[in-house]
Amino acid sequence: MTYKVRLEVFEGPFDLLVYLIESAEMNIYDIQISEITRQYLEYMAEISSRNLESSGEFMVLAAVLIELKSRMLLPRVRPDGGVEEDPRKELVQKILEYKKFKRAAALLQEQEEWAMLVFEKPQEDLQPFTGEPDVYLKMDIGQFVHAFRMFLSRQERIEEVRRRYERVERQRATTEQKIDHIKGVFAARRAKRLKFGELLEDGADRYDKALTFVALLEMVRNRTASVWQGRSFSEIVVEMGAGGGRRRPVRAGGSFDAE
Amino acid sequence: MTLNDREFKSAFESMMFIWGEPLDARTAAEAVGLGADEAYGLFKEIQREYDESGRGLAVREIGGAFQFVTRVENFDYLRRLCTPVKEKRLSQAALETLAIIAYRQPVTKGEIDVIRGVKSERIIEGLAKKELVEEKGRADAVGKPILYGTTAGFLRYFGFESLAELPEIDDIEDALRSAEPDATDEPEQISLSLGGTDE
Repeated sequence: MTYKVRLEVFEGPFDLLVYLIESAEMNIYDIQISEITRQYLEYMAEISSRNLESSGEFMVLAAVLIELKSRMLLPRVRPDGGVEEDPRKELVQKILEYKKFKRAAALLQEQEEWAMLVFEKPQEDLQPFTGEPDVYLKMDIGQFVHAFRMFLSRQERIEEVRRRYERVERQRATTEQKIDHIKGVFAARRAKRLKFGELLEDGADRYDKALTFVALLEMVRNRTASVWQGRSFSEIVVEMGAGGGRRRPVRAGGSFDAE
Repeated sequence: MTLNDREFKSAFESMMFIWGEPLDARTAAEAVGLGADEAYGLFKEIQREYDESGRGLAVREIGGAFQFVTRVENFDYLRRLCTPVKEKRLSQAALETLAIIAYRQPVTKGEIDVIRGVKSERIIEGLAKKELVEEKGRADAVGKPILYGTTAGFLRYFGFESLAELPEIDDIEDALRSAEPDATDEPEQISLSLGGTDE
């Protein structure tokens, strides 16, 4: 028996289990554990192939089912001759409990549909009824001017925040542009190694230098370039392509000859 | 000066009209200098009168507060007039979780998870954000887990007057129980007798 069902429609493992039991028209008090387990595991395979977030929870119930299946195969007569409880009992209780609330959810949904047809009016401005008509009218001109100034300065602050926000956005864009630029310089010069200063555009300001440096750091991070320095504060040498690990990175105080 | 019932009811109607939001019977009672129980009774009378005379407005109770709302039957006409917008409906998962909270309250997240078989944390958060459920205190158990219950917003959302109006669900359970087959009826189970002492 195979059927394709969209897994997303199941709210959880019990939802799936209830679906399987009902589809197979099994008596809830007499679940054919081996058949249900087989079907359940089929779905599990599907779930794990999709790597659903809740697959762990589906797995827990799978384990319960498998354990039940094994217990069902064993004799249920205790050594003292008494009969053990049906091992399925606990699972049945859980399913019944779940079904009860699934039914309750359906009832709530019906009620929701009905309630959607009812409209209310939001509370209106009660000021005319509260005996305190318009407090603003009591303000003298000085208070009014002050309030207006406050409003203006608030607008200014908002403007300021907006400007900064936009600047951040621009910077992000230019880091990538800078990387392209650096790659361009290397390509144009057909060089494998360049000094940091050679990467700067003519008349680069401090911002431009900083950005070039940040772009380089980014390139080092994703291994499209490597950099090193003969000693502290000396010229940074840039080489395209990852050092592959053998390249010594920045060596403070070393005597490595960059050229 | 004391008012008679008719005048009290008239006052309450006006107050409901102005208030818009559900008006607590106690608040209204204080305003007119009446006992809370009497006021509640009068509000119920107003509600009944509106129902019986089939007015286009109905009086809705939400946990002891009263509010004018439109009559359900007029929904179609309202829609033709102005296409009223209502918020999105709740998801299946949200309804399930809400049902457990409504019927089992106060209830912990752990208890909800056990019944549903999945983690419900994010759904509970969503319901709390919609002000349908809220914290009702802490359970006296390990870790002092939060107890959840429904809010007045829940009653309002579903149009329940009180929690007593929640549809009965234990009936369903009982019906299922009565369908339980005899304990001796075990078709799948293989019973092995050890030592042949069984009949």
